[in-house]
Amino acid sequence: MAVTGVVWEYLRLEVRRTLRDTGFVIGGVAMPVAMYLLFTNLGDGDDSGWKTASMVGMAAYGAMNSALNTGAGVAEDRSTGWLRQLRITPMTPRQVVIGRALTGAVTVLPALVAVLAAGGLVNGVRLDLWKWAAIALLLWLGSIPFTLLGLGNGYRLTAQTTGVANMACNLVLAVVGGLWFPLALFPEWLRSLSAYTPTNRFAQLGTAVADGHAPTLGTVLVLSLWLLAFGSYAVTSYRRTARTV
Amino acid sequence: MSFTGAVKTFGSVRAVDGIDLEMAGGETVALLGRNGAGKSTAISLLLGLNEPDEGVVRLFGAAPEEAARAGRVGAMLQDGRPVPRVTVGELVGFVARTYPAPMPVAEALELAGIAELAGRRVDRLSGGQTQRVRFAVALIGNPALIVLDEPTAALDVEARYAFWDSMRAYARRGHTVLFSTHYLEEADANADRIVVIDRGRIVADGSGEQLRRSAGGNLVVFDLAGRSTEGLTLLPGVVSVEVRGDRARLRTEDSDATVIALAGMGAVRGLEVAPASLDDAFLALTSGSSNVLERV
Repeated sequence: MAVTGVVWEYLRLEVRRTLRDTGFVIGGVAMPVAMYLLFTNLGDGDDSGWKTASMVGMAAYGAMNSALNTGAGVAEDRSTGWLRQLRITPMTPRQVVIGRALTGAVTVLPALVAVLAAGGLVNGVRLDLWKWAAIALLLWLGSIPFTLLGLGNGYRLTAQTTGVANMACNLVLAVVGGLWFPLALFPEWLRSLSAYTPTNRFAQLGTAVADGHAPTLGTVLVLSLWLLAFGSYAVTSYRRTARTV
Repeated sequence: MSFTGAVKTFGSVRAVDGIDLEMAGGETVALLGRNGAGKSTAISLLLGLNEPDEGVVRLFGAAPEEAARAGRVGAMLQDGRPVPRVTVGELVGFVARTYPAPMPVAEALELAGIAELAGRRVDRLSGGQTQRVRFAVALIGNPALIVLDEPTAALDVEARYAFWDSMRAYARRGHTVLFSTHYLEEADANADRIVVIDRGRIVADGSGEQLRRSAGGNLVVFDLAGRSTEGLTLLPGVVSVEVRGDRARLRTEDSDATVIALAGMGAVRGLEVAPASLDDAFLALTSGSSNVLERV
């Protein structure tokens, strides 16, 4: 199993590098927690429905943020020549890409877990144990399209433009998808648009479980379409630059 | 390792313009050339980072990618910046685990002269230290061939000497080393064989001594004192003529005959005869004068 061994080593190295990135820890983990606590405790502070909904929204936001960050890492590794150096080692390009995608999957967890923990421990959100587990699992799986979007940006753009593109994707998708503010505050036309965003459906994976039912077929369908779109974007970006890395 | 008629063009530039080259195991070969001569492109072809438009490049009898997959190659690439947020030990240790039969990390760090830096972060080292980390990354896999693309380009004199000491220590273990440089002295001092590349072509291939000889054994220098340089190339033994200031510099294969002819012309003013330096040889080889090229 030498193949998995090398991918595992690469994953360990890259996760370690990500967790040492102060920008990632502050902007990617601490920020969603701080925003969640702020947004849910500014008013009178005993709307438990909003505390739960916002917890899921912010966990989704944090997960998306971290997922996109994976792409920024790729862009950085292209610009420093690290990916080029890896091509001379016995690692295959396939192992490198798989290792990177797995890194994305792992580094999504800190933000996700931190926001859920803030909900349960600080804001007193009470859910059945299976619901906590299901929300965490669904948000984790649901972050895959965003990892692919980030990788698409990272393989296609320079390190600087990747940062800007990720930030733009992040802000627009978070706000329009209703991760930051409740959809009820939106005008009608924006609300109907929101239903088609990957972020809105991403958060619905969690809110559905919190409300005690399975995610709707529509949610799964819309997310699958985005998974396909971002997946193709990542693949074409990779093909375009892989030979020049 | 071999290049057969390799060509690589970027737009209208033929960066590598028909290279034929073979390298045997255990050799230390310098790829010498000016900036933009095609050294880095040739190396990227050799490592499989680029594919030739024409011709064939083989490494250990296989395609370069396959040689890399088998762990037979290590390299220090040009323009590589330090990998952020890892320690020297973590980085070198990781690369070791991607190779089938690496040397111990401590041994590689020792060879590269950075044993004491194992716990330091790669992005917080000096230029010379970073370069040695990249050397350790190149050799950790214990590859049969190690390729160094301008390994000392950004180093000060002291760091450069220290680096070459490490490199020679590694080569002495019987490994094949190919390095590129635009410093003549480095090529002469550290390689068994020098391959001179100019405008994407190989213009000379041999030991430093052979190159010196091929470019004309001696240099005859004298004051022109207003005389024209016409006819000087036709003097006996003369290979090439160059004028610096008011002094003519004749590269010659028979300095006695050249001097006698000059005396016959009454041109002996401030005459000097000296062995041609490697610098002179290099300039002659890369100036594009065809009479020199044919001799090599």
